[in-house]
Amino acid sequence: MTKEEATEKARQDLAKRLGIQESQITDQSVSDSDFPDMALGAASSGEMSGQMMSKGWKIHLKAGNQKYEYRADKNQLRLYQFKGKNYKI
Amino acid sequence: MNRNNFLPHVALALILILVAAFAGQLRRWQTQWKSRGFRIIPAEEKWREPINNIESAPYEPRQANAPEVMVKFKPGVSEEAIERITQGLHDQVEDEIEAVPGLDAIDDLDDVDAETVASEYRKLPEVEYAEAVFEIEADDFAPSPVTPSDPQFSAQWALLNDGSRGGTKGADISATYAWTVTTGSDKVVVAVLDSGVDYTHTDLASNIWIRPNNVPAYEDRELGTIQDFHGFNAVDDSADPMDDNGHGTHCAGIIGAEGGNDIGIAGVNWKVQIMPLKFMNKSGYGTTKAAIEAINYVIDRKKAGVNVRVISASWGSTQKSRALEDVIRKAGEAGILFVAASGNASTNNDRSPHYPSSYNLPNVISVAALDRNDQLATFSNYGVKSVAIAAPGVDILSTWLGDEYEEKSGTSMATPVISGVAALIVAHNPNISVDQLREKILASVDPLDSLKGKVATGGRINAAKAVK
Repeated sequence: MTKEEATEKARQDLAKRLGIQESQITDQSVSDSDFPDMALGAASSGEMSGQMMSKGWKIHLKAGNQKYEYRADKNQLRLYQFKGKNYKI
Repeated sequence: MNRNNFLPHVALALILILVAAFAGQLRRWQTQWKSRGFRIIPAEEKWREPINNIESAPYEPRQANAPEVMVKFKPGVSEEAIERITQGLHDQVEDEIEAVPGLDAIDDLDDVDAETVASEYRKLPEVEYAEAVFEIEADDFAPSPVTPSDPQFSAQWALLNDGSRGGTKGADISATYAWTVTTGSDKVVVAVLDSGVDYTHTDLASNIWIRPNNVPAYEDRELGTIQDFHGFNAVDDSADPMDDNGHGTHCAGIIGAEGGNDIGIAGVNWKVQIMPLKFMNKSGYGTTKAAIEAINYVIDRKKAGVNVRVISASWGSTQKSRALEDVIRKAGEAGILFVAASGNASTNNDRSPHYPSSYNLPNVISVAALDRNDQLATFSNYGVKSVAIAAPGVDILSTWLGDEYEEKSGTSMATPVISGVAALIVAHNPNISVDQLREKILASVDPLDSLKGKVATGGRINAAKAVK
């Protein structure tokens, strides 16, 4: 998965999750980031991850007045702390 | 002389005689030490810097006028007779050894080799014995370090830190000294519970566990018979634990990349058996259920006769699982040490536990990570109650997928260093119990100021101390 593919997938997921059109998602930014583990610092329930520093991207999206953070690398995409929980996409 | 001044003059004369005698003895001691070409290494310095101390010790070749033979003349042979004999052989007495009457250090003025000179003296009726002076080398006092032939060894600062790349010389686990005692054993099995292991990697292949013929295939009530040739895959419940992520292969190389094979790197163990287990997927995460299944497999293999002594667990999360805790306890009861990463969130595990490293079980060791300057890694979790020990974990070079090598950082990398040292201890002491093994590891640290109040032992593992 490329950075662009991860971003597109994140937009689609957020739109579906919020029940809105993708066009209603604004203020998109993507940055390279180091994560503390192989679940990108966003392990979901019942998950264990390798404790190796890993590289990926943080994808910041905005819908309405709310901000959302996705985390991705070439193998995975995660939604970070959405209503207090992490989700694997 | 005035009678009243007599006593002070005698006292002054005695003091002067004593000072002169002491100065002469000091000079003699100095000469004796220098001629033997070594210096005393303080005990606390011995494990830290002996390589350089030995290699750079002020060795001085024996000088032309240094004594070449020690000759013991028979009782009753006078000093005049000794002088006559030595002059007759064109030699001279360099020193008398007062503690042994008749024993002289003699220099041959013709510089004939010492053994020939000694044999000349042995033929004389006045001589009890004669022997060539031999030099005592520093090697007689401390073992020489063992350095492997692996071409990328110089980049393995965790094993031997030479101070390059901004590091601190000696901030390492003293592996080259541990290797003077043991480089590991192919009778010791270490389970790498991870994303699998690339068992075809050139630097790992000969150290990968293969199920012996006398151990039956793995039987599971639900899964049936699994022909576990190299280990177990709990992601898809198969017999193939091939790594598709790289993390497990990296950890395996730290424990046991083949040493001295002129290829790549050396593991903490040059020889060991790595049992590959896959419970994390291509992305590097897995479920507690898969971890439990894989640990269950290890316990089964142990009971079937496989000498699995350590499970290396470079993974975790903040979620507690009673089931995972129970199966790790069972591993301990089966005699298996469980070495676990403390986590990479820079947090205090005493307050925010990280599992499985925070399980308070007698077979668990929680490991923090250090950088190449003996500082706690910025990412490393810590906890003076819940994290036991620290090991190098930043920019660690090890094996990777595709027969490659990569530098990686994390408590994931520190954990297999401890697992590797555990395997070295077992190689050296095969009958050690799991309790003794844990105790031995925790007692084998170099205390560091940077770890005070951070980890329970306050120190970095020292492999040389561990195998003493």
